[in-house]
Amino acid sequence: MTDQANLESDAGADTGGEVEAPMQARTPGTAHLLWTIVGRELRTVSRTRTFYLLAAALAAVVLGITWIGGGYTAGYLPTAVDLLTPLELLVPIVAVAFGYRAILADEQRGELDVLETYPVSPREIVLGVYAGRAVGLAAAIALPLAVAAVAIALTGDDTVAIYATHAGADSPVLFARFLVLTVLFGLVVLAVAIAISSLVSATRSALGLSVVALVALLVGFDLAIVYGLAEGILGDADLLYSLAISPLSAYRGLVLETTVVVATGTGPQVASPLASLAGLAAWTVGSLAVAIWGVRR
Amino acid sequence: MSEDTPSSDGTDRPATETETTETETETETETETQLGAESAPDRNPSANPNMSTNTPTTPSTDAESKSSDAETTQSDDVSDRPAVLEADDIDHAYGTVSVLENVSTTVDAGAVTALIGPNGSGKTTLLRVLAGLLEPTAGSVIYRGDAAARRIGYLPQQPAFRPGFTVLETLRFYSSLVGADEAETDAVDRLETVGLADAADRPVEALSGGMTRLVGIAQATIGDPPVVVLDEPASGLDPGMSRHVFEIASELAAEGTAVLLSSHDLALVDRTADEVAVLDEGRIVRQGPPATMRATLEVDSLRAVYEESVAADAGTVRVQGVTDE
Repeated sequence: MTDQANLESDAGADTGGEVEAPMQARTPGTAHLLWTIVGRELRTVSRTRTFYLLAAALAAVVLGITWIGGGYTAGYLPTAVDLLTPLELLVPIVAVAFGYRAILADEQRGELDVLETYPVSPREIVLGVYAGRAVGLAAAIALPLAVAAVAIALTGDDTVAIYATHAGADSPVLFARFLVLTVLFGLVVLAVAIAISSLVSATRSALGLSVVALVALLVGFDLAIVYGLAEGILGDADLLYSLAISPLSAYRGLVLETTVVVATGTGPQVASPLASLAGLAAWTVGSLAVAIWGVRR
Repeated sequence: MSEDTPSSDGTDRPATETETTETETETETETETQLGAESAPDRNPSANPNMSTNTPTTPSTDAESKSSDAETTQSDDVSDRPAVLEADDIDHAYGTVSVLENVSTTVDAGAVTALIGPNGSGKTTLLRVLAGLLEPTAGSVIYRGDAAARRIGYLPQQPAFRPGFTVLETLRFYSSLVGADEAETDAVDRLETVGLADAADRPVEALSGGMTRLVGIAQATIGDPPVVVLDEPASGLDPGMSRHVFEIASELAAEGTAVLLSSHDLALVDRTADEVAVLDEGRIVRQGPPATMRATLEVDSLRAVYEESVAADAGTVRVQGVTDE
């Protein structure tokens, strides 16, 4: 191919491109391309009022439950337990809202076609879009939880003097784990939403498929596990690992296993943390792989 | 587009000839690889896996010797221009509806090549195939230009940009994708070229249709690609801006760029294009320099050439696969 490359250079010289050709042939690196796309997504998130409304609604729910439930005076662990169930529902909805049109909108405008003429691969497009939206979603989830943690620290009845994970003791570390796991759960669902966004060609289809995905994630997989147990397809010994298949069950199991069980110091194992983390990672990687395939298609 | 014509040479060329070269990151090294139609390169400025992007060691002598169904007129000056894109026996179908049939043509460096034809004749499909955005059902497209970060610039028929960004931010984003050292300066230069410098800080969603098209043209030239494909660049523009857009196309060609555009403004095409291909019902029925075509048909305008060449009656759109042959 060296000869052919030389011929191409000669062709460039013939067409008056002898000065510009070396500059043109330099393709920017992956890091530069990713950063460019991430920056565009961050600006989009920061300039879209809908995302602020979603973040505000999520913050209102988190802080409202913390206030009404008395969590801010009861401590970190009671607050995390209060918030767990509402966030199991709200985080996926917010995550889907952040991602379901992320790639679809570019495709509908024809910008995805235009991007194909640039030296950027489908993988870089998907990872850049995902990373940019992930920052916005993580902020939308983490900020209200952090505010709730600060409220607990300032107004709690009992001053927490232990900043380590001690059995039988409440601790901000436990709440921090809850916060991180909740953000991770949101990022997993965001990857699913990005995959949906790359597969459909109309907003109505994206909405429909998003609803189907939400029902499957929030109800379907749990029901399937229950069905498997009831029919004897899954044995009791398999339960901890089969929970890892469902992102929601994996998230719930991780929160309970790494916060509630740790704090209470007793009780049966409710999840396999490693299997659950592996399950969440598989959903994320798998969804992004589907998204890359969708863009390439 | 000076040499080839729709081919019916009957050669047993594989339907998916797929020689492709990828430009390596940060290098000018190229590697020739044979790719199947389903194995698109991961990073490929010409995303179409059926688009061969190598520079062959031998010129396309076989292409030059092809027989032709279409009438081709040439002049010596244009035949000397090197072909940057070469389409060979392109077919394209949407499901069972055939849109392009046996289209063979070239796009030459340093020339404005215009594609004209009735609505529904397959112009946009052919432009998208040549730009590497659509995989042909059969045939191949060979890129013979020099190595470049961006080989083909493209203006869609209906350009649109992500809302929430200014014109300058939008172009800066695209400039950054080709690794422009001074993306902001590059973006400003592109805007000045199309006469939109005063709109640099305007949100893209606040632009008129014509201004959006000008931004799209500026975008198509980013990275100085050897080939620029413009799908109806003058659509929706006032007469002055239409003329300006064609002047931009001429300037690009004068700098060595191969400009391929489609248009219904036959007067501007007649005045500007070095080569014209008339597409009708998915086939190139006539091609050559406009002056030569006029002389051959003994008519005084490109419109007359067009009317002589296409099958559709004025006011009637022939729908491929529906309208009787």
